[in-house]
Amino acid sequence: MENYRPLIGTDIEELDTPCLLIDMDLLDRNFGLIADTYKDTECKMRAHIKNLKTPILAHMQIRAGGTVGGVCAAKVSEAEAMVEGGIDDILIPNQVVTPEKITRLCTLARQARMMVAADNTDNLQALSNTASEMGVSVGVVIEVDTQMERAGIRATEQGVVLAKVADSLPGIEFKGVMSHQTLPGQPDRETRFIEGPRFIQKTLDVKDAIEAEGIPVEVVSAGESWTYDICPTIPGVTEVEGGTYALMSHAYAYMEDFEFAGKILGTVTSTPRPGVAIGDTGSRCLASPSGVLPELDGIEGVRVDSLGASHAVLKSDGDMPLQIGDKFQLISGQQDIMVNRWDQFIGVRDGKVEAVWDITARGCHN
Amino acid sequence: MERPIIKPIGTPVEELDTPALVVDMDALEENIRQVHSSFEGTETKIRPYVETHRCPAIAHKQLAAAGTNGGVSVASVGEAEAFAQSGISDILIVNEVVGAQKIARLCALARQAKVTVAVDSAANAASLSEAAQSAGVTLNALVDINTGQERGGVAPGQPALALARILSSSDSLNFSGLMSLDGDDLGEDADALIEKSCHRIQQTLETRETLEGNGISVETVCVSAQQPHLASEVSGVTEVMSGAYALMDVRHSALLPELEPAAKVLAAVTSLPEPGTAILDTGRKAMGDDYGFPIIAGREELEVVSMSAEHGKLQWQDGADVSLSLGDRIWFTPMDIGACVNVYDYIQAVRGGKLEAVLDISARGLYR
Repeated sequence: MENYRPLIGTDIEELDTPCLLIDMDLLDRNFGLIADTYKDTECKMRAHIKNLKTPILAHMQIRAGGTVGGVCAAKVSEAEAMVEGGIDDILIPNQVVTPEKITRLCTLARQARMMVAADNTDNLQALSNTASEMGVSVGVVIEVDTQMERAGIRATEQGVVLAKVADSLPGIEFKGVMSHQTLPGQPDRETRFIEGPRFIQKTLDVKDAIEAEGIPVEVVSAGESWTYDICPTIPGVTEVEGGTYALMSHAYAYMEDFEFAGKILGTVTSTPRPGVAIGDTGSRCLASPSGVLPELDGIEGVRVDSLGASHAVLKSDGDMPLQIGDKFQLISGQQDIMVNRWDQFIGVRDGKVEAVWDITARGCHN
Repeated sequence: MERPIIKPIGTPVEELDTPALVVDMDALEENIRQVHSSFEGTETKIRPYVETHRCPAIAHKQLAAAGTNGGVSVASVGEAEAFAQSGISDILIVNEVVGAQKIARLCALARQAKVTVAVDSAANAASLSEAAQSAGVTLNALVDINTGQERGGVAPGQPALALARILSSSDSLNFSGLMSLDGDDLGEDADALIEKSCHRIQQTLETRETLEGNGISVETVCVSAQQPHLASEVSGVTEVMSGAYALMDVRHSALLPELEPAAKVLAAVTSLPEPGTAILDTGRKAMGDDYGFPIIAGREELEVVSMSAEHGKLQWQDGADVSLSLGDRIWFTPMDIGACVNVYDYIQAVRGGKLEAVLDISARGLYR
């Protein structure tokens, strides 16, 4: 585990590398955009903390405004880290099935308002059994598969059946419905505004069918960063699960409203041949699932040619402007997987270190 | 930090909390024994590349086996510090160490262990020499030779000779020899890779002759080899560096078919949304899938069709003999063990299907 803690006020040029930076001005802008967008809307942001894994960043978005006052956490252990960090309203938009994890979830319900997604009757029964034995209440949303073909009910009727079961069982409280959506590539705004509502409609269909049975639906959670501006225009959607928007990733470059606030700072360790520089940032710290390469930020004519486990090969078609010892910054193509490889964020403003934050939910896969 | 439920020693492996990175100790010990035995009684020794597992307990197992000279190799100064702290006294850093802070750490470490570092430029040699001199320590330096892997390193032959001369005459540096490594890309067939590896070793040995012909003695020739045991017979190579053989993975299995995958990730089924499909609690984050998806060894009927950050998705054909329930366990064999280990804080060690120990991955995330 890393133990590097640069002094507050250290100049960015003096930082040991590689390290994971947050540009605080840009982060503030991203949080501010969410606050402005959801200021007067019924729909609010519930930031997905799997992208940040750090309680202070959850608090910063909540304080900035525009949120439901809570977060999403992908796993029970991630939720534990957030509750420990003072967050008291958490949706786990995933299934929690093993007895031990259900016990952990129910224990968290003593300290925070907990909701979990379910797509199976046996799972609802197991949640109910443990919650009632422990004398707690856990909120339940039914997960609806709208296009990802991952977890979630496939047919509207299944949602009604599950809602009825959830509504009837002790220890759990039926809250509503949730779904995730994804779009490949770099879609334009028009495509987003056609596809987003089309996908989310399936969730609303389930909501309507459940309400037709006389069961009120309080929560409709949908979308992610790419639907942040779509969801408030869809009547009935109450919250949005956005994550990547806070630090951004070049895979989301089409979401032009957000700034690239998260960067990896590296140093050139070798200039072995003309037009080539080797950096100390490899795939271990950057994450490159499916071979996705990071992009260099702000150095014209230089590109990341390939990644080794512990180094990056930078190439330029003309003269290589980078010399041994020079610093460079990279933007990851897979933001949340990258953050999960780090123990600390270094927050910088005006070229100086403003904060060093432990990423307390790093490695919380359980 | 990872927050698994750590179960009591003796717990059956299938009851471990998921996802869990699990190593079968019998398989690990057998892999080490097989590879190290090739280096027993030979002049060539194996230098375990411990960046691959980042785990001091496993490094000590490797050094306790036959065929080593007591040293390991790592990728960063931070890893070197972690392994020195665990009591290892001979550490080679296979990358160039640049920047005043890092070089100062390297010099401090040289008081606790024999430290050797890769060098590929005169400028870096000067910085190392100056810092070592003012710290009152000696750093061992290897000339890093680029034999076609296209990362750092000087060209073989005359450029290597020129740098060796500089290192030999630098105060507080000890020129100890040559180093040349394979690239990370295993995207070719095994025979092509082995041929490339042999060619690279040959170029390194020719450079050794060039240096010795010019009166510079070369104590160490350290090379990586896709099949470490084959390099044990190559006269003139003093050390073979290798990492994946201990825990193994899918990516290296074509090159080392005689070794067992000793490390696997235990996952659990969390959703059965439609017939023929299961969703698992283990996705890209918990697999470290930079080099591709894992496989499910021994269950050819189950296909890993996709992975997202938090989920894995399995599918099977109609009529396949598969009956999965929520909570059922599935074993993933990682595509690349180095990428996988680096997302975990612990390896849960099992023997005969029962938990034997929980090993700290102390050097996880030490990129600096």
